Amino acid sequence: MVEVIDCVRKLGPGVQFRCKEFRAEQAEMVALCGPSGCGKSTLLNLISGLLRPDSGIIRVDGIETQNMSEEEMDRFRGERIGFVFQTFNLLQPFTALQNVMLGMRFSDTRHSSEWKPRAMELLERVGLGHRFKSKPATMSVGEQQRVAIARALANKQKLILADEPTGSLDPKTAAEVMDLLLRLCEEEKVTLLLVTHDPTIAARFPRTFDCTDLVKDINEQVA
Amino acid sequence: MSLWHIAWGYIWNRKLITLLTVLSVALGVGLISAVHTLREETKRRFEEEGQAFDIVVGAKGSPLQLVLSSVYFLDAPTGNINYSDYEELLHHEDVRAAFPIGLGDTYRHFRIVGTVPELMHHKWIVDPISGRERIPFLLAEGRFFEKDFEAVVGSVVAQQTGLKIGDTFVGTHGFMEGEHAEYPYTVVGILKPGGTPNDRAIFTTLGSVWEVHSGHEARGEHTEGEEHHDDEKEVTAVLVNLQSPAMRFTFLDYVNREMNVMAAIPVNEIQKLYAQVLATANTVLLSVAYLVVIASALTIMIGLYMSIFQRRRDLAIMRALGASSIDIFGSVILEAFWVTILGIGVGWLLGNTVAWTLGMYLTQRIGMVITAFGLSGEMLFSYAVVIIVGLLAGILPARQAYRTDVARDLAAT
Repeated sequence: MVEVIDCVRKLGPGVQFRCKEFRAEQAEMVALCGPSGCGKSTLLNLISGLLRPDSGIIRVDGIETQNMSEEEMDRFRGERIGFVFQTFNLLQPFTALQNVMLGMRFSDTRHSSEWKPRAMELLERVGLGHRFKSKPATMSVGEQQRVAIARALANKQKLILADEPTGSLDPKTAAEVMDLLLRLCEEEKVTLLLVTHDPTIAARFPRTFDCTDLVKDINEQVA
Repeated sequence: MSLWHIAWGYIWNRKLITLLTVLSVALGVGLISAVHTLREETKRRFEEEGQAFDIVVGAKGSPLQLVLSSVYFLDAPTGNINYSDYEELLHHEDVRAAFPIGLGDTYRHFRIVGTVPELMHHKWIVDPISGRERIPFLLAEGRFFEKDFEAVVGSVVAQQTGLKIGDTFVGTHGFMEGEHAEYPYTVVGILKPGGTPNDRAIFTTLGSVWEVHSGHEARGEHTEGEEHHDDEKEVTAVLVNLQSPAMRFTFLDYVNREMNVMAAIPVNEIQKLYAQVLATANTVLLSVAYLVVIASALTIMIGLYMSIFQRRRDLAIMRALGASSIDIFGSVILEAFWVTILGIGVGWLLGNTVAWTLGMYLTQRIGMVITAFGLSGEMLFSYAVVIIVGLLAGILPARQAYRTDVARDLAAT
């Protein structure tokens, strides 16, 4: 499902991201672990196409993405990749329902008449059937992250990239959100790549990938 | 969830800034709307009234003054002409109808117009295509004058002086002091409001005017600066309808060349007035209005720019959800469009309210009705210009949004 092969990206003067090889299979769940600044989020950004590699190959769902045009990458991302962020990243002017619908707005996967029923169904599944018309500011952090999970699944994406999705939550809510995310990804047979610092969360994954040393200071190495 | 919805959502999310921006656009648009409405309506009204008569004949002087005094009752008359000139005009083969008018006296600053009863039945077609007629003398109550010292008063006169059927009043010579107390007029009719100069005039027989002034002359009550009345019967002007409006210029030349009087074509004089004086005022006002629009476009641009700066993260999220750069660019441009459209809507309402209020004043002042709350071709053109300016104001912020660095902005917390 995801392949990153010999991928290099310059991040700053003398600072370079290099990933020799990373693979994840269809419906596999992988926790990406490592200390802050080691390159976990950079790896997610490269896989999603938000960052482009200077060299190497990135393959998602069997398609090489590193040479796609900006427009092709936008469309590809909208159709196949869902995001769950640490700070939820819901759009404040819009209701929970509209935020989930926005996940479908920018892809061609389904007709506009299907957006609302699909968004309602997903919100029901994450336990927010009573919060369709609520704006993010009026929701708890746990509820906001549930909306973000619903949005990430809106297009029946094949890949979910989650960047420390429980980082802003208290332990109880974090556990509930993780339960929900893992259950939904399993039900939908979605590949989940999740960045985390938390060993207890990493322990719930069948496989972990150690990101330590993905980012290196070339000057130090030379010295 | 179209881009329109998204743009609207962000506008609604910052209501206060949106409101202030909309108001700044509305100010410019309001000024444009008011200038257009007032100019078009006054011009239309003046021209409609000007169509009532093909030619106006009076004493030599300023043609515009002759038209303003005898058709619109606005200015002092140019002087008097002999009654025989009226008779000559009346019997000319090219003339379909001729109405003499005698001006001179007023009642509480409303003109007393001496004329023939036939004028009260005068009507004309204001729109040859639709055949719409203008019947300026319609009675609200009473009847038209039949003999001397009977008077028909305009609606504004009746309203402001309180004159009713059967009331009597006396005229004042010119606009100066000095009443003709021995010549009282009796009100026999009150006209319906017509939005014309007639609303502010009092109509009576020509004989009444002559009789008042023959006594006046005898006592030598003239003061310097007032028009002079000879012993011979005189009229102030003659309102002439020709067999065809196409004969206006030929007949104008004939009168000016062959008779010792002056002729003027009302519509032409009014159009000249507009072209020479009011067009300049109009251009100045419209220039100011467009400057206000440009200033408000800058407000739109600054508002949007600040908004884009504050929500770089939102734009990055949309990109992460699959929005293309074009989607982002479009949604920001649509925000500018919404603000501009709202500004135009509020501005139209504002401008027309001003025009309507001024129209009320003009109705009271000179009997002219201004029909506000309309849309003309020129207004639509101006609004289109405002929309283009608004969209241009959105381009720079939209470009800024378009170039968002998604990974960097998503990482920023």
